[in-house]
This record gives sequence, structure tokens and C-alpha cells, in this order.
Amino acid sequence: MPSATVSDSVPIETAHEDMIHDAQLDYYGKRLATCSSDRTVKVFDVVDGDASKTSGGHTLKGHTGPVWQVAWAHPKFGHILASCSYDGKVLIWKEQQSQASAGGWSKVGEHTLHTASVNSVSWAPHELGAMLACASSDGKISVLTFKDDGSWVADIFNGHAIGCNAVSWAPAVIPGSLITPQQQSIPGQQSQTQSVKRFASAGCDNLVKIWGYREDSQSWVEEDTLEGHADWVRDVAWAPNIGLPKSYIATASQDKTVLIWTKDTATSPWVKTALDPSSALASPSSSSGASSKFPDVVWRVSWSLAGNLLAVSCGDGKVTLWKENLKGIWECVSDMNS
Amino acid sequence: MDTKHIELVPPLVEAGKSSDLAQSGHIVSASFSPSNNSLALHLAPLNLTGSKTSTVEQPEAVYLAGCDDVPSSERRLFIADTVVIFSMFKSMLKDAHLRDPTWLQTRQALEIIRKLSVDYVNFIKECWIHASQPISRPEPLQFSVEHYRNLYSTFSLFVVLFVPEPGYEDAPVGEELMEWLNIHFIEPSTEEGDQLSSLDHPWEDENFWSYLTRSTIRGFSKASLFFLNTLLQHSSEDLQELVKILIPLVESHPRLPQFTAERDFAYASRKWKDKVKALRVEMDRFLDESYDWWDPLSDLIGILEGRGDVIERVCEELGADWKEVCAAWGIFVDTRLRRQDLPDVVADVLETMPPDPTNLEDMMLSSLFSGHADQVLKHASDFDLWLSAHLADIMEPLGLLDAELDFESGVTKRDEYVLAYAEYLRSDSTLWRITIAYLYSCGRVGEEQADEVLMRVPLSLNAATLDESLTPGDTMAEVVKDISAICLEHSRESVRRAVCKIASTMLVRSRDYGMAVSYSTSAEDWTGLGRVIDAVLDEYIQNGPVVFAGYASKIAPSMDEIQSSSRTHQIFAHRLMFTVRYSQMHKMRLDRDYPNAALDLLALLRDEIAPRSWWPILLCDAVEFLQYGPKLLFSSSDAIELLRKLEEISIRSSQGSGDDYLTVLIRTIKGGGEKEALERLKQVRLAIARYFARCTVGNG
Repeated sequence: MPSATVSDSVPIETAHEDMIHDAQLDYYGKRLATCSSDRTVKVFDVVDGDASKTSGGHTLKGHTGPVWQVAWAHPKFGHILASCSYDGKVLIWKEQQSQASAGGWSKVGEHTLHTASVNSVSWAPHELGAMLACASSDGKISVLTFKDDGSWVADIFNGHAIGCNAVSWAPAVIPGSLITPQQQSIPGQQSQTQSVKRFASAGCDNLVKIWGYREDSQSWVEEDTLEGHADWVRDVAWAPNIGLPKSYIATASQDKTVLIWTKDTATSPWVKTALDPSSALASPSSSSGASSKFPDVVWRVSWSLAGNLLAVSCGDGKVTLWKENLKGIWECVSDMNS
Repeated sequence: MDTKHIELVPPLVEAGKSSDLAQSGHIVSASFSPSNNSLALHLAPLNLTGSKTSTVEQPEAVYLAGCDDVPSSERRLFIADTVVIFSMFKSMLKDAHLRDPTWLQTRQALEIIRKLSVDYVNFIKECWIHASQPISRPEPLQFSVEHYRNLYSTFSLFVVLFVPEPGYEDAPVGEELMEWLNIHFIEPSTEEGDQLSSLDHPWEDENFWSYLTRSTIRGFSKASLFFLNTLLQHSSEDLQELVKILIPLVESHPRLPQFTAERDFAYASRKWKDKVKALRVEMDRFLDESYDWWDPLSDLIGILEGRGDVIERVCEELGADWKEVCAAWGIFVDTRLRRQDLPDVVADVLETMPPDPTNLEDMMLSSLFSGHADQVLKHASDFDLWLSAHLADIMEPLGLLDAELDFESGVTKRDEYVLAYAEYLRSDSTLWRITIAYLYSCGRVGEEQADEVLMRVPLSLNAATLDESLTPGDTMAEVVKDISAICLEHSRESVRRAVCKIASTMLVRSRDYGMAVSYSTSAEDWTGLGRVIDAVLDEYIQNGPVVFAGYASKIAPSMDEIQSSSRTHQIFAHRLMFTVRYSQMHKMRLDRDYPNAALDLLALLRDEIAPRSWWPILLCDAVEFLQYGPKLLFSSSDAIELLRKLEEISIRSSQGSGDDYLTVLIRTIKGGGEKEALERLKQVRLAIARYFARCTVGNG
């Protein structure tokens, strides 16, 4: 394999009038949603890594402030996008029935319970139904549970003092229970006996918190607090759980570190490991060392579909890709120079 | 692991300017695409105050950058063709598991493994030949000719050493190794031979002895004999005398393929070596004559004598490497060298002639010679993930790899390499079929990854189809059928259901309700089925009875199937029945079959097939029948039933339960509310009152 790769692609010209804050590809990787300081959300069809020439993209207008994040719902719920903004609102967008080829997007919901900027939105795993978690600078987290008619019930609760920066859901299905026996599938009801409603949030209190839903009390409870960062936690990403009972969470912080939190079994504690960019190696022993710092603030962490590759976006303009080797050590396998 | 560097072209930030980027308050943000391992990259401001930066030309552009080179050109063919052999191998192993597990050790199993391994070698050879041809190509080769040659030499050696012909595992390996060396590392060159043979006194050429020695090592007796014969013209009579003895020795060198029994070969070899020793005695007579030919001839005879030190030294002088020494070892030094003894010989040779650590091919070959399967795979994966995956796939059943699951990762060694190759294939989502073929061979971890890939095969209705006679729905049906078949093959029912659910949602969007119902039913997704039915009912509210009746007729055929299925929940069967029967009522009405339409409408209400929220709609529909002039369509008891339903609605609404009854009617009155809905129902009441009057006067 050649060790230097050139990614030669035509950049997609979004025609946003200001900087882009987020770009997310849909379930099939065929559509790209972007959002910007220009207060709009845009949707493009992507063909072979390029924006489709036939459709110039759709512009979704409705926010009155910079739009921080967009999130695609699972396609079984339809073509649905959620966006969150500095204006304190979360908007739900739906592509209406396609007349000819040009489908029209319209706003089908407006969640206005937050009193400050909403920084992050994240759809729950589809097995849990249509649910959206939102994190806001008002320190609160809200979880919207949608009904069939598009209306929703909102749970809102205090998450992190000063503010919440990001949310990310845990995989819903406990490994090994993928196929629900037919006799257990209660008609008219998603089989939820083996799934788990849980997500992680990242805050300005330097903490990462794990939230779980208690069916008995019908409420969200704080299950765990992960302490390890020395400054605002900017992003959190719960890894997809492919084939293993082990759980992984990646967090990125203003303190220039990325921590990987692992939990071997349901009952074991979360153990943290810092990615070590200096040696391109990381081990549990170096997690407290000063060497494991990135050259700049770390802004974004993103897992690949299989959960085996982690992309880290750092303030130095570099994106590095990390992988855990068979010895449990995190190695930098690629770096992308922009 | 070496870090791979990826550069964006054209660059988002100019070289050396990334520090400016941070200072101007910007970062690069990246998120993974779920369809392949590419990233969506863009610039983002660190905070709200971050403004546009001058170091960037296109601050609002989004890049999609891949981690791997997407397979193109000849590489795609290579990938697509070798998966065929891989799949045959897989099904062979699957059968083996069904049989006695020890079956893999049988001759029959080994024969199949050898055949498929040789298939790989032959296929690689064809690719190499194809790549070598100086033809014009639509796209340049993605991998060089040299790359395919390396694959060929490595895979061939693997077969020679580890997948021998069954029954010959314990046969001497020297001849096969020399044959392999002669195919892949040709020496001496034909040009050299041609040049020398054109000379009158070739021995005067500086390359003469090296050519003659190399031909002898390689076992090219024809060439060796030709040049030995020329020496009969040499001015030295002593030399001529020695060569006269040497020529028949070279001619009669016993080689294993000439014998049917190894014992005969061993006997002949011993006798022959005695003759070579005799020649050495002859030669030593001229030790003091200081002939210039004495040293090279002595080396030649030393090789024939099987003196390892001479072979090593001569090879080094000839510029040959450890491979040549090891192959020659099996021909001259230890003619009965076995595969299992080879690593010891190789270890000694490598001590003095180490492989080139900068040359991956050399590292792979030396690891193969040394019998270090793990090392082979490590180097192979650095060279080409295809090679490590396919070697590991054969190594495991041969017992060359630890087949235990790794505690941490939950995969075997073999799976680790096959998964890595599958991940490389994911760089192109159109290779999904091939990707999942590899993934589904990798235990639970592989299966779950394959599920994710399978669930993301685009079902897009907008996908351009080559066959224009197919509707978008047909195209999707083909894809779903395809995926369902794969799910069945690998027992992935949950994936099939997940895909059917998505298909159903997409079909509802394109108003293909009939197909949507089939998919929801097939997925046993009763909530989904409910959504489809609601969407059809919505057609009535949005577009009126004509459009509704048209769409509802499409879902009618599913009703029998659903009703006969014991698994369907009653609520949904009931709702579907209402939708279908209600649409049939409208169809009769549109066909002016009022008597039957009226009967049906009444039945829907009386038997409470219609949900309460639809009663007001049905009652409004009834007005037309109540006012029907030619004849009374309802009996007076029927009319009383209508009135009773109307009463229930009025009373319950006045008690605050209007939501249960009036929501649908309200939706049909644009901009209306409960008040308007109740107003509308007053007209029904009036129609019923008039109808009673008609009944009383017997106006029929």
C-alpha cells in the first residue's frame, strides 16, 4: 500500500454566506447537510464524492442565529433533519413528498424550551424510536420523543452548570441480542426489552456525564460522571458497538487532549486513556502524562461506522485518524493535511 | 504501525499556513461518512467572533476525503475476480464444518485447498501479464507491474512451501524451490548468454566464468554444457583434460524428477558425488600451476560437491542473495532437504546474508522461507491488504495460524487480516457485495459490520436505472430482493426487516402504498403498517374520495394476507380493513351504485369498523345517500343508527371529548376548528330529520 495518499476531490461549493459549522452525511452517505453562521442549513446530493450537478442544493431558512449542528434521522422515519442554533431553537425539517425530482424541505417542528444557544443535537439509535437529544448553553439537556403524527414530548433537565456542548447516544442494542425472537415482538410496539436508552453529554464544567432512562420513574437519571479533562469538554462521541460488549466513548477538550473512555462490561467502571499525538502512541500509563497533548484545542471527534476508526479534528488544521491495535494501544494511522 | 499521510488536493489551507489558521480562530472539522470511510472536512470558526480568513480560498467548501485509494482500473477487476475464488474456498470450509472437523486434514481437503491456492497464483500471473502488456488503457494502472510481480512471486512461494501437492509434503523441496527461483528471478540473462556464445574464445570474456557458474547453480545444464564444450578449445591441455571429466558429470547430475523412488535418487546422488570427489582429486594435481582458470573451476566443482561455504561465497560474488543460496542448498548441499528442515538452513544463511529490510518483497519471501506465518502476514499487510487477507484465509485451515479468538478484539488472526481488507474495500460503497462476502466470513464482529454495510445499500428511488422500462419502485424492489436473498443466505433476519422498514417509509413518500404495505408486513412492522394506512387515509383528507379510492385499491390485495396471518395485531388488521372497505364504499358511490354504497357505509358504522375519529366523515358522506331522490336507501332503523352515532358525537363533544371524534373532520375543513365541525354535523342532523319525514310519508 502506498503510504502517502492524495485525496483528490473537487470540494463541494456550498455557497453559504459565512463559515460552516457542521457538515453531516446521511445514512447512505448520499446527501450532505451543512449549516453555517449565515443562519441557514443546506442539503446537497452527493454523487461520487461530488455535489450533484443537477440539484444545486436546498436552502433551509428558519433560524435567526448561527446554526451549530445538523443531524439526520434514520431513514425509516423519513427524510428528516434536526438543526440547532445560537437562537436557542432546535428545528425539525422534513423533505415532503417528492414531486418529480425536486423534493421540498419544510420546517415541521420548532423546539423552543431552551433559553440560550443550543449547541448540539443527536438522534437516538433508530431502535429506540424517533428521539432527539439537545444540549444547550443554558446548562440544560432536552430529549424529544416523537410520536407518529410528528408531535413530541420533551424531557428537559439540568445537565452541566455553565453549559452543555455536545451529546452522543450509546448504541441501543446490547451485543448478541440483535435478532428479537418473533414471539416477543409485540405488535404495534418496538421491542425495547433488550435495548437501552443512554447517552453522554459534554460540558463547560470539564465533565462528561452519562444519562440513562429509567422506565419505572419515566425519567432521565445521571448514571455516571467522567472526570479527566481540565477545561471545557467540546465534543463527545459514543462509538458504535460492533460485536463486542466493550463500550467506547471519545471526548475532545479545550485542554488539548482527547480521552478514550472504555468500559469492559456493564458493571465495570469507565477507564480513561489519552491519545498521545507526540509518540503517535497511547497507553493507559501515559494518560496522565503531559506528553499526551495535541498542539492545539481539539474540537471534534467522530467514529467510523464500524467504530474502529476515530477522526480527531485539532486546531492546528490537521485531522488525525486513530485506531486501537490488538494490544489495546491507540495508534495514529493517518493524518490528513488540509 | 506507520502513519499514513493524506493530503487534500487542492489544499484547503496552503502549505505552512495552518498556524495562521489557528491564529485566525479557525479549525478544520471532520466527520465520517457512514457509506465508506471518507470524511467530510471543512473549516469551522473556533468561536462566534471568528471571521473569514484570508489564508483560505474557499472557506465555505466541504471536502469529502477518503482514507484509502478507491480501487480503480485493473485493481477493481482483480478484486472482483479473486472474490470468486475466495467464496469457493469459503463454501468448501463451510461444508467441512458440517462434516467431521478432522476432514480438513484429509487428502481430499488438501487437494481442494491446493487447487484453489493454485487458482490464485494463476490468476495473479494473468494479471501480471496483462499489466505488463504495452497496450493503451482507458485508465492508467492503479498498481504497477512490479506490484503484481511481487504478488506472484510471494503467493507462488507460499504455495510451494505450505500447500504442496498432497502426498508430497515430505518429499525433498530443493527442485521446487529452484524452479520457483528460476521463474521469478531469472539469472543469468539470455542476452549475456547470446553475447558470450557469439565469441570465438568466450573464456576470454570477463563474464564467462560467472555465467557458467550461475547456469550451473540454476541447473541450466544445456547452457553449462555448451560453454564447458567451448573450453575443449582452450589452450591449456590440463584444463581440457579436467573439462572432459566434468562434462559427463554435469550431464549426468541426478535430479529428483528423473526418479520414481526417492531411494533410487539418493543412491544415484551418492554415486555421482563420489565421481565429483574423484574429479576434485584430479584437479588438486594442478594446484601449484597457478592457472588463471583454476579458481573459478574449483568453485564450480565445489558447488557440485555440495560445499555450502563455496555456494555462499560464490553467490555473494555473483551478486545473488540468500534466496539463491537456499535454493541451491536443496540441489547441491542437502539433496534430501525437507520443508520442515528448511527454516534451520534459512536461519544460518540469513545470518550471513540478511534480507533487505527496505524491500517488502524480500521481507515477505524470507519470512515464508523461515516459516514465520505471523511475520509473513505483517509484511504482506504493509505491502497489500489483499495479500495478507488471502494468505491468512488459507493459513488458518492449514493450521499455520492460531485459530483462537483474541480476548480483547474478539477476532482471530485470520479475521483481523480479512477485516482489514474488507475495510479497504469499503472505500468504495459500490463494492458492497464483495465487502460483505469477506465480512460475513469473520465471526460475529464481521457479521455485525456486514449488517451495517448491507443496511446502507442505497434503496434510492431516484437512482438512475439503465433499464428505462423499470419504475423507481421496481428498481427498489430489485435491490430489496437482492438484500433479502443475502440476508437469508447468512441468516440476517434483523437486517432484512430493517431494510424493509426503510423501503416502506420511502414508498409511502412516493405514494406507492401497495408495496409499502407488503414491506411493512414482511418486516412484521405493525407500527409501520399503521403509518402506511394512516398515509392512505390522509389521501382522503388531503385529496378527497376519488384519489383516496384509487390509492386504497392498491392496498386491498394485502388485506387477505394480513387477516390470515395470526401474527398481525388486531388493531392494524382492523384499521386496514376499514381503509379498504371505506374506499370500496366510495368506489361504489362513484360508480353510482348507491344502494350498496349506503349499505356498506351503514355497516362500517354499525359494526364499528370505522374508528370514532372517522364517524363524522362517514356521517357527512351519508348525507348524499339520505338525500338520494329516486328511492329510500336506508330503513328507518338504519336511520336511527345514524342518528345514534350523531348523538354520541354531540354528547361526548359537549363533555370535552371532541378530540376523540372530531380531529379528522376538522382537518378536512381548512382553517376550521371544533365549532365548524359541529356546525357541519348539524347539516347531517337536518338531513336525517328530513329522511325521517320522507319515511313517514312513505315517499319511496
